[in-house]
Amino acid sequence: MTNIDDKDMCAMEAAHINSKNRQVLLTCRVNGQVVVEEIDPTMLLLHFLRDRLKLFGAKEACGEGECGACTVILNGEAVTSCLILAIEAQGSEITTVEGLSKNGELSILQQQFVFEDALQCGFCTPGMLMSARALLDRNPDPTDEEIMEGMAGNLCRCTGYQQIFNAVKCAARLEREELNRS
Amino acid sequence: MLSQFDYVKPLVLDEALDVLSRDTDTYILAGGTDLLIMLRHELINARHILDIKAIPELKVFSYVEGKGLEIGANVVVNKLIESEVVRDNYKALHDAASCLASYQLRNRATLVGNICNASPGADLPPALLIYNATVKIASKDGVRTVPLKEFFTGVKKTQLTKHELVVSVFLPEPGQDDDSCYLRQTRLKGHDLSTVGVACRIDKNGKACIGINAVAITPLRLTALEDELNAKGITEESILWAADEIKNHIRPISDVRSSKEYRLHMAGVLFKRCMMQLMDKEA
Repeated sequence: MTNIDDKDMCAMEAAHINSKNRQVLLTCRVNGQVVVEEIDPTMLLLHFLRDRLKLFGAKEACGEGECGACTVILNGEAVTSCLILAIEAQGSEITTVEGLSKNGELSILQQQFVFEDALQCGFCTPGMLMSARALLDRNPDPTDEEIMEGMAGNLCRCTGYQQIFNAVKCAARLEREELNRS
Repeated sequence: MLSQFDYVKPLVLDEALDVLSRDTDTYILAGGTDLLIMLRHELINARHILDIKAIPELKVFSYVEGKGLEIGANVVVNKLIESEVVRDNYKALHDAASCLASYQLRNRATLVGNICNASPGADLPPALLIYNATVKIASKDGVRTVPLKEFFTGVKKTQLTKHELVVSVFLPEPGQDDDSCYLRQTRLKGHDLSTVGVACRIDKNGKACIGINAVAITPLRLTALEDELNAKGITEESILWAADEIKNHIRPISDVRSSKEYRLHMAGVLFKRCMMQLMDKEA
């Protein structure tokens, strides 16, 4: 099962599904790992990640796409995993906060959240990181406005928004510098 | 939490129409940003979920110069915001799309879903109404096209039957010297539903078109007011007159977002701001 390549994955994304038996086989790639699981079609993507894969980064708070705590990156786009059925991710590439660090080392973005004290209770942090990651992936040099717009779908009940904003801004600069060096 | 449904994801339109013709308790899933909330709150009891995201016909997003823009049922709101065609030709739609919910939701939410959900306060309909949008509807019996103005029939109600599916929305070419904008009032900056939202357009003949949401059971096109305003000619004076007159053309209610009186007042204020903005650009 592990030698499923990109072509297979694309074919699965476009494949016909009919879950007559109330059970359906989901194949997707999560943080680079191919995952094949039999699931109920009513299962939410958020619950699939947390309950099945034990990836507890994405959080359930509002359950209505308002707070952004469940944000993950699905095929390159930040989405709220509480409003997506797990089976909709068939053949998709999913990145959760657990996929940001490499070889046990925090990414630049994560390090900046630490340096800038961009977290208090930490509950919103995984969602914030995923929105910020998607933002910097599509726009490595965002303006202040663009950072605010890109992060507007994530709420922080501790209201530490300024530090989060600073962390994203610093990370953008450091990532660009890193890119220029390499 | 969710109702017990099975899930079908067809690859061709005909199969989707087949599924819809067979069962009446099938719900169509595109972005799911409204549907999943309804499932979660058990507002609906779905037996079958029909995911239309793999159907190629519904991915259409094509602009033909001189004809217009067709937006398929799978086109997400962020795609509208990024589109130069929308920004250059249908400014009010760009404005409305930009203020809809949050970035994450706009990655999933579709324009067609926004009209099919038929919320009286939905952001996109006023901008679509002023461009005389039409809705292409398919079923096993064939295809029909209806003006968006007639598509909405009540709060969360449309003339779509359980056996039908919206394929796309079409916006006719506005032509040169056409401009529009959309402004809305919300309780807070960020993703709140609009308290009132107004879209205004001045077309190439200098005629005004007015679309408005959250002031009646459906989004409205205020054609009677447009006629009176256009008969007077668009001047600062006639705009002020229409800003006061608009309250006689809408029937808002009081709810959690606003009182009826505030909506009546803000409809006039937003209309005036929209029109002044368009006039300023012209001058």
